[in-house]
Amino acid sequence: MIMNEEQKESNTNEVIIELKGLSKRFGYGDAASYALKNFNLEVKRGEFIMIMGPSGCGKTTLLNIIGLLDTPTSGTYILNDEPASRISARRQARLRAKKIGFIFQNFNLIPNLSIIENVSLPLVYSGYHKTRRLIKASEALDRFNLKDKEYYLPFQLSGGQQQRAAIARAIVSHPEIILADEPTGNLDSRSSATVMEELRRIHSEGNTIIMVTHNPALTSYATRVINMLDGTIDTDIKTVKDSDLPVPIERKTPRKIFKSRKKSNFKKKKGKK
Amino acid sequence: MALLLRTHYELAKSSLKRNRTRSFLTCLGISIGVASIILILSLMGSITNLVSEQVSKVGSSLVVVRPTSTRSTVDSIVSELTTSTQYLKSNLTLKDVDTIKKIEGVAAVSPLAISVNSLKGETDTTVPSATVIGTNPDFLKIQNLSLKNGVFLREDSETPTAVIGTKLANSLFGTAEPIGKTITLLGQRFIIIGTLAEVDDPINFNNVDLDDSFFVCASALNKIDNSLQIQQINVRTENTDTLTDTAEKIKESLVAAKSGDTNFTVLSGDEITHPAGSLLSIISGILAIVAGISLIVGGIGIMNIMLVSVAERTHEIGVRKAIGASTGNILLQFLIEALILSLAGGFMGLILGYALSFLLCLVTPFNPFVSWQILAITFGVSLLTGLIFGLYPALKAAHKNPIYSLKYWA
Repeated sequence: MIMNEEQKESNTNEVIIELKGLSKRFGYGDAASYALKNFNLEVKRGEFIMIMGPSGCGKTTLLNIIGLLDTPTSGTYILNDEPASRISARRQARLRAKKIGFIFQNFNLIPNLSIIENVSLPLVYSGYHKTRRLIKASEALDRFNLKDKEYYLPFQLSGGQQQRAAIARAIVSHPEIILADEPTGNLDSRSSATVMEELRRIHSEGNTIIMVTHNPALTSYATRVINMLDGTIDTDIKTVKDSDLPVPIERKTPRKIFKSRKKSNFKKKKGKK
Repeated sequence: MALLLRTHYELAKSSLKRNRTRSFLTCLGISIGVASIILILSLMGSITNLVSEQVSKVGSSLVVVRPTSTRSTVDSIVSELTTSTQYLKSNLTLKDVDTIKKIEGVAAVSPLAISVNSLKGETDTTVPSATVIGTNPDFLKIQNLSLKNGVFLREDSETPTAVIGTKLANSLFGTAEPIGKTITLLGQRFIIIGTLAEVDDPINFNNVDLDDSFFVCASALNKIDNSLQIQQINVRTENTDTLTDTAEKIKESLVAAKSGDTNFTVLSGDEITHPAGSLLSIISGILAIVAGISLIVGGIGIMNIMLVSVAERTHEIGVRKAIGASTGNILLQFLIEALILSLAGGFMGLILGYALSFLLCLVTPFNPFVSWQILAITFGVSLLTGLIFGLYPALKAAHKNPIYSLKYWA
């Protein structure tokens, strides 16, 4: 039992995302406006962060920067002990394929690919054979009770089902970080609840989730609620102690994506067990 | 890498299948260009084949003397084509024939004085532009020709005699058996003493259609036409082994006899086909350029379609990038799509081109010519077209900003 406490301690102490003095400017000179202004944030492994705030306060920009889709104008973004600016574009793409899962408000399933092809898409870019891809995608869809819809096209599914397929796509390569941009924004309250339950399940397996939402009712799912205002943090409330955050489920084959530093982390964990 | 390529191939295939009509039409553009190139190449090949086949049929002991060596340059051929003074420069004479005849190792010599004149038959039928060939009795031996009826020309005959090709006989007299009838050429009457057996080789190294020609003795022709031009002297050597030696000897003695004049060429073996071939290669070169232009148009078609495809899939590109596609991945995806289009078009063009050339061969004496070079050219050309015209759209797709792309709804 003491061992378990220790293990939790070591995991929750691990900072996975660190933003230092981050700024993002759009436009130049007189027309310049800042989506993010001197933004500081530390995200620990296993957190479920909900980001709230009025439209245009920089929530989506923040998510895009964390997801390596955008680059900050100034400041540093450290992902797993490595400054993002030092990661090559190619490796950034690989990280997006393997370590980061995106969930969008409008689902963003590719309309002319079947559900299973959509879900297996991230695996295309991490180098899986077609059969392996389909097996893994099928497993992921099974988790979300969409196994019988595998060969449907996205438009043949309801909004809630599409979003669940999109979440299946986000988790199919077992990413550590899941970024969700208003995942329930286009859904009715019942579908929202289902989607949120799915996210809670993913979170309980030890994944880090950063979610942008407008709906205050959903904050009950989060372990930390951040309110943003004009590109900076207004309030930052942790509802769960760091030590109570879920522990990542140890997978059989840790992927060596985060270079040697990551490897040593895995070794540490194994040694503790 | 191989896995990635296969995956991209699958992706490209499925996206092309989604737009069947569009893909097909794009392919069609390429295939028309490729088909015309193939048609031209295959015709060119078959013509060259035809002539060289003939030379080998006539025998490898053949030497041909032609006036002026400048004929092989592009400039001179073009000027000859445009000024129609094609044989004005001929400096070969009947004396040269005698010179060659005396050379050791020469079995037979015959001049070819080709001119176009109007011929008048016994009734009022005339052929306004018939090919008249002034030659000598050796001609039959050299060409391995045979007579259908009658006898061939004799040098010592007192009356002007002539031999006629079957096609010309038919158009002048309405019969293929005009022996004994007379033909008037430049006011001189010639008695027909023989008809040539049909050869059916309209394209040959003499550049005349023997079936449609009128043969008289060069010496007889010289009497009525002082400006007799000998365009070619055909020589058969006694021995194939000494062919080049004899050709060399012919050249030397001709230079000597003509007191240093070197405006003639002595050709033997494969070289004989060249003058016919060089004119041909210029024409087919020009045709190939025209075909190349249609290929460029086809390539622009590919570019256009790929640009449309990239634009309407902007959102998809955004999604793909967000879930892990690198710039290179997207580039490859669209490039492979363009390559599939162009290669499929090339394949279609190959089939279309050969179908056309087979059709053409039904009405012309050519045989369709298939060679690995043509296949390689087709493959290379369509690959290159796909690469050149597919690269820009692919680059455009690959460098799209994922954030803007995600917001873009077509």
